[in-house]
Parts: sequence; structure tokens; C-alpha cells
Amino acid sequence: MTSATRSSVIGTLVILTVPVVLALVISEALGIRVVDRIATIFCINLVLVLGLQVFMGNSGILSFAHVGFMGIGAYASAVLSMPLQMKGMALPELYPIVKAIEISPYLGMVVGGLVAAGVAAAVSYPLMRLSDAAAVITSFALLVVLHTIMVHWHQMTNGPRTLFGVQSATTLYIAAGVAILMIFIALIFRESRTGILLRAARDDEVAAGAIGTNISNMRWRGFVLSAFMAGIGGALWAHFITSFSPNAFYLKETFVILGMLVIGGAGTVSGAVLGAFVVTAAFELLRLIENSINLSGVLPTQLVGLTEIALACAMIGILIVRPSGIISAREVAFPDALRRYLPGTHFTRPKQSRSADEGGTQ
Amino acid sequence: MSQLLQFTIDTLSLGSLYALMALGLVIVYGILRLVNFAYGELIMVAGYTLYLLSASPVPWLFMAFTAVLMSIFAGIATERVAFRPVREKSVTAVLITSFAFSTLLQNAALLFISPRARVVPLPDVFSQTVEIAGAVVPLRNILTILCAVLLLAGFALLLKKTVLGIALRAAASQFRMARMLGVPANLVISVAFAISGFFAGIVAIFWLGRIGSVLPGIGLGPLLVAFIATVIGGMRSLLGAVVGGYLLAFIDVSLAHLLPSNLLQFRDAFTFTLVIFILLWRPDGLVRGPATGQRT
Amino acid sequence: MLKVENLDVRYGAIRAVNGISLEVNKGEMVALLGANGAGKSSTLLAVAGALKAASGRILLDGEDITALPPERIVRRGIAMVPETRDVFPDLTVMENLRLGGYIHRHDGQGNSEDLARVMDLFPILKERGEQAAGTLSGGEQQQLVIARALMSRPRLLLLDEPSLGLAPKIVDQIFALIDQMRSMDITILLVEQNATQSLQLADRAYVLSLGQVAASGKASEILKATDIKAIYLGQETRKKKKKSRKR
Repeated sequence: MTSATRSSVIGTLVILTVPVVLALVISEALGIRVVDRIATIFCINLVLVLGLQVFMGNSGILSFAHVGFMGIGAYASAVLSMPLQMKGMALPELYPIVKAIEISPYLGMVVGGLVAAGVAAAVSYPLMRLSDAAAVITSFALLVVLHTIMVHWHQMTNGPRTLFGVQSATTLYIAAGVAILMIFIALIFRESRTGILLRAARDDEVAAGAIGTNISNMRWRGFVLSAFMAGIGGALWAHFITSFSPNAFYLKETFVILGMLVIGGAGTVSGAVLGAFVVTAAFELLRLIENSINLSGVLPTQLVGLTEIALACAMIGILIVRPSGIISAREVAFPDALRRYLPGTHFTRPKQSRSADEGGTQ
Repeated sequence: MSQLLQFTIDTLSLGSLYALMALGLVIVYGILRLVNFAYGELIMVAGYTLYLLSASPVPWLFMAFTAVLMSIFAGIATERVAFRPVREKSVTAVLITSFAFSTLLQNAALLFISPRARVVPLPDVFSQTVEIAGAVVPLRNILTILCAVLLLAGFALLLKKTVLGIALRAAASQFRMARMLGVPANLVISVAFAISGFFAGIVAIFWLGRIGSVLPGIGLGPLLVAFIATVIGGMRSLLGAVVGGYLLAFIDVSLAHLLPSNLLQFRDAFTFTLVIFILLWRPDGLVRGPATGQRT
Repeated sequence: MLKVENLDVRYGAIRAVNGISLEVNKGEMVALLGANGAGKSSTLLAVAGALKAASGRILLDGEDITALPPERIVRRGIAMVPETRDVFPDLTVMENLRLGGYIHRHDGQGNSEDLARVMDLFPILKERGEQAAGTLSGGEQQQLVIARALMSRPRLLLLDEPSLGLAPKIVDQIFALIDQMRSMDITILLVEQNATQSLQLADRAYVLSLGQVAASGKASEILKATDIKAIYLGQETRKKKKKSRKR
């Protein structure tokens, strides 16, 4: 990475941290539980969206399997960190070996990410040479396979029923910290050799193949990193929500995460952050309205699905107007005038770093 | 003997449904090279039309006819909303818009009708059985097979003998060239979606005949079936879709007979793993489609 | 009849055609010459509506057709024979021809008359009628795409590299056919790399280089005045420069 790139990455990181810090500060200042909850959800969503962006944004391949890896991370961390005395009740059929283990939920999150990455590494390599519709359908198939396993592996997941008794460990501070770390990872990956080659291959597969790039291998790396991030995101979510069933990791969640990425702009980390921010805010607001209408009993029937309809309309609308999202090809950059004040970097014109981005225009 | 006959009729009737499901998906994919994720919701639309008409005094055949019509209409609407505005911009965008449209329709059903299953009206013939050579067979299974055979033959004739059919096949292999000969792009695409909706409507009638009720998520099962069948048979070939449909039914019915019940619950995982392997072995499926092709 | 004014065609950031102007009069045969990548095919595709012009105008009989989609342009009497020889490989020869007459599909009698005429012109297609077009030889496919274009009863025929990749004997046949089509009142805009042979047939010619018109005039004059090889070689070196610039 050239020093110019490094300085622009740091600049972008600083800007992208703002919404996370903002969520934290507002929540602390107000001290309202609902706000704290929404801020935490935003940070968790951000981790998940960034995970998807790492693969989809750089490789240009739509992946449906992402939420499946989120589920793996969630279950792995939840089960491993569950207090021993809870295990007998929550998971009566659990294997004896696992029954004897109890790790800290924070270690569980890392393990959750690693397990998801491991599964991804093992199953995905042969899938990475597929493109277009074949790639999409196989990733869809992978999601169904993962879901079916989660639903039927009674011993580990309590089957289709809700898993109770997961340790509550995800606070807003932890979620925000992880989110900032993930922004950093996603930015670094984007500018890494693998990231740059992936983006080159996305724009012209033949040409990238001709210069000797092993595209499958590059995609695989992106996919594994993406699964790792999804696993951590899932674990964060599990320790936040503390009880869940496999249905949480299926098409509905896929739709929400995908919606955030697409609305913000899949091609950039900035887009992922913006999308997670805007959509989480809108989504939770709509849900609040939906719930209060339902509770007030103004309507004879319960309102369901309004939030999803709104998100779907927003997605279609954005894609019609801007097919590659709000922030499509270029990361947000620090204004030139302020760059010199960035810590640890000397002032450079951003020109060079831009040329690498220009290929991203779809 | 009667067991074998039972097995054959089970396979053929399920296969007929699967083949029609797959055909409806592949007719769009073949021409646009785009997967329509909202395909399952066309079946849902037909189902809810039946449900909504159930209170009215009109004869059942009229209800069924209206249901198919609504499904065709929904197919064309899918194209207008989710495909046409983004078709030329980005492949990924279209996949996502069709996914979004699918969610939109599902949640509209949730919101305006109910999250719970609703019983649809069915004619008496659907619940009758006949005895053939010792095997007791539901009459609707026989009807499914007959209907599918008629539709497939009719569809083949349309493709082979009419100018529109020839234009559809031409557009599936060389879209741009077909346009340069005067075949309007929007016409071909709308027709493809209408046919897709038509098949979905027919499938809905017989599929609901099997399960008896409709709910917002009803489209997912058929969509998955259509995915698997087309992937097995060949994404680019209409014949492949039909072959894939019957083959998948054969696998499903056989697995239902062979697998022990504790593994049977993983059947979807088995079939989808199979799909992944087939795609790796032959990315184009068992039946190869037209040699070349570019998108619009 | 056809007038192209300051046409620009771009593929992403790459400019294939850079301000080309040309004119084809009724009954004429005009040749577009130039090396690979000079912008000949892109010009034709833009006229046929298959590529969108980034700027400039295309006029047919004084009417602006620049923004029309290909399916409308063929109805105005322009037929395209693309260099990629896009037969529909799974369709039979007859079905290919039937599709050629798509815009006249409501005129069944006219179509069958056309079909008979085309079959006379290309007897081999009659023989191969029920064969899948993908199984034909290169020369036969070339005949098929020309025949298919004729089925739309064009006033202006755009021919893109009809001799590409064919054996010399077949090339002679194709050129003889092109000559024959002139007698059928069809105006022709021909793109060719085979400069000598096309200049012998054409009335006028434009020589393209790097997406611009480098020379134009009567075919006989161009044939005499210019050392064709030099043009191509000159372009060859310039082309390399262009490529290196792209990197």
C-alpha cells in the first residue's frame, strides 16, 4: 500500500467512524433504552453489512449465503459460552464434549467468526469459479443447506425451536468497537492486493485472467473473510438478543442486510456504512410506528410487513435511479484542506489513490 | 406391480408440476439471462386470487381461470417494476430488484390478507381417487399429468410453428440480432414473463390442489424446486427444464421411499448439495442450451 | 439517403468512433475501409441501432433515426448483416429466413414470394432448409445471414465484413452476389478489410482510421491514388500507439 493510499484509508476510516461514534454519543446523552437498543442494532448490522461488502462489493458477485454464516457464528458462540447449568435445560441433547465447555462470550465471538470462516473455507472453494446466475443460485443453495442443517441439528441448535439462555454480553460499546474494527478491516482489504485484483476481475474477468490472476483464489479469500465477519456479526447479535431460532438466519434477514448494502452502495465501504445507518434508522423507526399502531388497537387487525414493504420499495427505487447505490465507486474522502491534520500521515494529494478506484465505476 | 404403478404415477404427477415450475423460470432466464426471484410469488398471487374468490358464487373453473389470469398479470408486472427499469444497467441490480419485489408481494399478502394459511376452494374431482390395476390414485394426480402433457405439447407447438415462437427462440440465443430483424425487445420480454406467469398459474392450481391452502411464503418451495430442476437440467434449455423437473421428482419420490425418517428431514440439504455438485461438474446443466448468447 | 453526422460511439471509456461523417446516396454502393479497430463495425452497428451513439446524428431520408431502437430501424428499410455472422444456431435455415421476414409477417404472400426469390439466389439454402443453422459451413452461414437480411426487403443493406474468414473461392462468390444485389435496387454500405476487391465494386469509399475519416472519394480514385497497403501499415503503427495509451 502506498503512503497516499494509506493516508486516504485513514481519512476514510476517520469519517466512517463518525456515525458509529455519533450513535454512541447520542445514546449516552439521552440514556433512553430504546435509543441504546437501536444504536447497538445499528453497530451489529454494520458488522454484517461490512462482511457482505467485503465479498460482494469487491468481487461483484451476489451472495445469498452470508446470513447462513451469520447463523453459524451465532450458534457456535451461543452454545460454547452458555453457562454449564443452562445447557442441560436449553439443549438436552447436546454432545457431552460440548456440554463440558464453557468459554467467555467474547472468546465465543472470535470462535464464532473462526468457525464460520472455517466452514466457508471448506465448502466454498469450488463454488468460486462460477459467475453470474450459477454463482447466485449456488449461494442460494448454500443458504438453504445451512438453514436446513440449523433447523434439523437438534443436538446443537435445539432444532426449529427457539434457543434460550444465551449469555447477554453485547453492549453498545462492544458492538461499536467491533464495528469500527470491521470498517478498518474492510477498508484495508479493499486496498490490499487481493482486493484490488478482485475489483479488476469484477470489471473485466477476461482481462484479469489474462494477467495471470487466479480469480477463484482471490474470490475465495474474500469469501472466507466475509464469512468470518458474518460469524462475528452473528455472535454479536446472539449475545445481544439472547434467544433466537434458525428462522432468524434466512431470507428475511438476507433481504434486510442486502437492502442496506445495496441502498448504500455495494462497491464501497462508505456505502455499506451509510446503508446500514440509514436503513437501520428507517427500519427501526417504521417498526416503532408499526408496533405502536398495533398496541394502540386503532386498527381492527395487526399490521405486519409494512416495514419490509417500505424497504423493498426503497431498494427498487434506489436501484432504478442509481443501480450501484448511493455511494457507488469512490470512498468518501477527507477534504484536502484537513488531510494534513490526520494523525501519522504526511500530506499527499489524493490523486494516486483515486486512480485505483476509478475502475470501480460499473 | 401396483406399487410400481403407484410409484410411477407419483413420480410423473410430481414431475409434471416440477417441470412446469421449472419451465416458467427458465423461459425468462433463457431470454434475459436473469433469474426471477419473484417467480414463486406468481404462484402466491394465483393462490390468493382463488381464496378471495371463494366467497363469490362463480363456478370454480371461472375462479381458476381468473387465478391464472392474475398470475400472468403479476408476471408482466414483475417485468415492469423489477426488470425493465434496471435491465440494461446491471445484472446484480436486477437480481436484487426481483428479490425485493418478491419480498414486497409476500409482505403485501401478510399485511392485507393474513400471515396464516387460508383454505382455497377446490373442485370435488381433486379429492376423488380412482383405482388403476390395484393402485389407488388421487384423480388430481392423473389430471396433473394430463394437463402437463397437453401444455408441454402446446408450448412446443407454439415455439416451433408460430412466428412469435420462433422469435422467442431466436431471442434466447441472439437477442441483439433478433432485434435487428425487427423483433421488438419489449414484446419478447413481456411475452416471456406472461408465459412464465401462465405456467405459475397452472402450477398454483395443482400445487394448491395438493396442499389445500395458501400462505404468504408459499412461493419459496416452488421457487427452490424450479431452481434445482433448471440447474440439473440446464439453465439455458427449455427441454432441460422439463427433464430436470421429472428427474428431480424421481429423486424426491425415491428419497421419500428410501431414506430413513431421521435423515428424510435433511432431504433439502441433500438435494441442494446435489445441485452444487452438478453445477460444479457441468456448469451448464445436463442439457446444453443455445451455443451463444448475449444479454440485451 | 443515409447521412451520418459527427458520430461518436463509445464503449465505456474507449472511443471507437470519433466524429465520423459520411453519406450514402440512393442506389450507391459505398465501401468503408480501414484496419482492425478503425471503427467500421461500430459505425454500422450504430446506424442499425444496435449501439447507441454518444453524440452526432444519423439521418435516413432526412429523418433523424439516431435514437431509434434496432427493431424500429429495420422497419425503416435498413437491414444489417453483422460480421459475427449471427445465425440463430438452433433454428433451422427455414426458421432463420422466416424470422428475416418478421416485420412483414402479416403479408404471408409477399413473404413466400420473397422466400422463393431468395432460394433462387442462394440454392444451397433450399437444400439445407430443415438443417439447424449452426451446422452450416462458414460460407453457407454467410449466405444465410445475407438472405435473411434480404427477407426484410431492405432499401439499404449494411454488410459487415462478408468475406471474413472465408476461402478465396467462396469470397468471389459472395462478391458476385453483392454485385447482383445492386441490380435489385438495394443501396449498400459495405465494410471490408478486403480493400482491393471491394473498391472494384464500390462507387465511393471512406477510409477510416482511429475512429475518424482519413480519406474519402470515388472508389476508382482511392484505388489509384492511394497505396492501400501503406494506409493499412500506417494505421497499424498508429493503432499500437492507441493501445499503449489505453493501458
